[in-house]
Amino acid sequence: MRIAQGLDGRWSLRLHSGLRLRLLDLVAVAGLSVLALAVAGVALSIGTTELRPIGALRALLDGPGAGDAAFAIWDVRLPRVLMGLMVGGCVALAGAMLQSMSRNPLADPGLLGLSQGALVAVMAASVFAPSLPQEALPLVALAGGLAVGLLLVVLVGNGGGGAGGSGMAILLMGIAVETMLSSVTTILVLYSPPELSLALGDWMAGSLFRSSWRNLAAVAPWAALSLPVVLLLGRRLRSYDLGDHMAMALGEPVRRSRLLILLAAVLLTSAAVTAVGPLVFLGVMAPHLAHCVSPAGGRARLVLSALVGGILVVGADTLTRTLVGEIALPTGLSVVIIGVPIFIVTLRLHAVRRMRMA
Amino acid sequence: MRLTPKRLLPVIAALLMSSAAHAQTRDVVDDLGRTVAIPVNPERVIALHEPLLGLPLMELGVPVVGLYGRAEDGSTLMGVDFMDTVLGEDAKALGISGIGAVGNIDLEKVRALHPDLIVGTERHRDHAAMLSPIAPVYLQNSTADGVTGFSVEADLAAALGREPAFAAAKAAYEARVAEVRAKLPADPQGRTYLAVIVFDQVSVIRDISGAIQAVRDLGYAEAPLPEGTETGRGGFSAPISSEAFVRLDPDLLVVMNTFIGDAQGEAVIRQRLDALAPGWDRFMKPAKEGRILYLDSRRVSTPTIASARHMLDAVEAWAAR
Repeated sequence: MRIAQGLDGRWSLRLHSGLRLRLLDLVAVAGLSVLALAVAGVALSIGTTELRPIGALRALLDGPGAGDAAFAIWDVRLPRVLMGLMVGGCVALAGAMLQSMSRNPLADPGLLGLSQGALVAVMAASVFAPSLPQEALPLVALAGGLAVGLLLVVLVGNGGGGAGGSGMAILLMGIAVETMLSSVTTILVLYSPPELSLALGDWMAGSLFRSSWRNLAAVAPWAALSLPVVLLLGRRLRSYDLGDHMAMALGEPVRRSRLLILLAAVLLTSAAVTAVGPLVFLGVMAPHLAHCVSPAGGRARLVLSALVGGILVVGADTLTRTLVGEIALPTGLSVVIIGVPIFIVTLRLHAVRRMRMA
Repeated sequence: MRLTPKRLLPVIAALLMSSAAHAQTRDVVDDLGRTVAIPVNPERVIALHEPLLGLPLMELGVPVVGLYGRAEDGSTLMGVDFMDTVLGEDAKALGISGIGAVGNIDLEKVRALHPDLIVGTERHRDHAAMLSPIAPVYLQNSTADGVTGFSVEADLAAALGREPAFAAAKAAYEARVAEVRAKLPADPQGRTYLAVIVFDQVSVIRDISGAIQAVRDLGYAEAPLPEGTETGRGGFSAPISSEAFVRLDPDLLVVMNTFIGDAQGEAVIRQRLDALAPGWDRFMKPAKEGRILYLDSRRVSTPTIASARHMLDAVEAWAAR
C-alpha cells in the first residue's frame, strides 16, 4: 500500500490489489460518515423520554431492556434512525446511478416514474386488498416499480435504438409515465373512503412513523439485493459519463449495464417507497450535494451520495420532530423543506468557488 | 384503634383481590382474528380514533386516558372536537392526553400514559405490531362493510364486559325513539330516507353513524340508490354524482356539511349544494315540499347513542315545524 500522485496531479492510495482510492474521496467519505454518526446521535438523544446524549449512549450500550430509556432507544428511536439512513441512502443511490446512466443531472427515481409505480401498487393494494399482510407490501411495491421499469425498457426499446434505449429517451418516457401514474394516485385518494384517503395522503407525503425492526427487516433485504449490482457497475459509471459511444468504444456493455442499473434503481426505490412512501427530489439533491463535497466519480460518488441521502433524511426528520411539535410534518416534506434551501445554497457556493478557481 | 394482624388481614386480602382483579385478563378474538389478552376491568385505555372508538368507549364508562388527535393538554388537534360536540365533555377537564402529533403516534408518549389496553380500528393493523409491546391492542371493525349503527359500541361492550352499561343506555334511547315517533306527522313505516354529506362532492352516508341508526329505528327505510353507487366497500360515505343526486325522491332527505370546520347550518349547506348541484332545490321534491332535514354533521356522525339522540332531537324539532 502506498500513496502516489496520479497523472491528473491528485493524490491517491494504491493498494497491493491494484485498487486506487483518491485521498480526497477517502477524506470526504470519512467526514460524511462522522457527520452521519453525529446526526444519528442527536436523533437518538431527542424525544419524549428525556435523555441526555450520555444517557442515550448508555441505553444504547446496555442493549434492549424493560426500562423507559431502553424502550425509547431500542424500540423507537434506533429503528427510526436506521430506517432513515437506509431509505435516504437507497433513494440517493438510485438517483446517482440514474443520473450517470442517463447523463442527465435531473434524473431521479421520482422523475422516471419508478417511485410512482411502487406507490400506485401499494396504494391500490391498500384500497382493493386491505387484508393483504404487511410483509407482502415490499413485493407489491417491487412489482409496481418493475412494471414501470419494464414499460420504460419496452417503450424506449421500440423507438429509441433497441432494448436499453438512450439515456435521454428513458428520461422522457419516464416523465410521461410518472405524470400518468400521478393522476392514478390522485384518483385512488379521491375515490377511496375518507378515512383511507387521509391515511394514504399521510403515506404519500413520506413518513418514518412506521419504522420498526419488523419493517426494517422486511425491506432491508430488497435494498441489500441491489448492492452487488451497485458495486459491480459503480466502477463503470465513469465511462458512462463520457457518453454511450465512448463507453461502448471502451468495451462497456452499455445496454446490458443500463438494464441492470434500472433494475437496481427499481429495487432501491421500491424498498424506500414500501418503508416510508416516496421521498421526492432526494434522488436529485443528494448526488449533487455529494458532488459539491467531493467531485468523485464511480463508486466513491455512490457512497458519498448514499451518505448525504441518509444524513438529509435523518437530519430533516429530527429537526421537524423537535421544532414542529403537535403537527407531525411527514418526513418526505421535511426533507424537501429543509433539504432544498441547503441544496440551493450549496450549489450557489460551489458555483462561486468554481468561478473563482477559473 | 390498634392495627392488629387480625384486623389487617381482611384489608390485605381485599387489596390483593382488588389488584388481582385488575391484573386478570381474558382472551378475546378481535375483528382481525387476533387473540388478545385484555384486562377484565381495563382502567387506562387509549383509543386510536376519537369519533369511532373513543366516544363509544366513553359512553360505556370505560376510563379513557389517551386519544389520537389530541395535544398533550387534551385540546383537539383535529378540525372538530367530537367529545365536546357529541358528549358535551371537556377532554382537558377529564385529564385525557394526546398520544403524539397527527400522523405520527409517539410510542414514548403512549408508554408514558401506562395504558392497560389500546383500542384501534381495522385500519390500525400495522400500528398494532408497534404498540403491542406497550399494552394489548384490540382491533375493532369500525368502517368495514357490515358495521352498522351501534354495532361498534355493542361489540366493544361485549369485549370489555360493559354490556349492562350499553343495555341501559340503549333502553333509554329506545324510549326516546318511541317518544319522537309519536310526534311525527305521519307514520314512517314504509317511507324512505336518503342521507347525504357534502365533502368536495355529494356523498351518500352509509349506515355506520348514530344519525342513520336513529332514522332507521324511527321506521324509515333507505331509498333505492342510483345504479352504480358504490356503497359496499365500507367507509362512512360513498360519492354520488350531482346529476344522480338531484333525481332522487326520498320521503325524508337528510343533508349535512363536512364535519371539518365550523361551517354548519341550513344556509351553509344550501350554499355548498348550490355549488355542486346548481338548481337542486328547484328539482328535488323533498326540497320543494319541506321534507328535508339540515343537520350538524359533527353531532350526529359518530356511531354512538349520543349522536343518535342528537338526530332524534333534530327530527323532533323538524316535525314540530
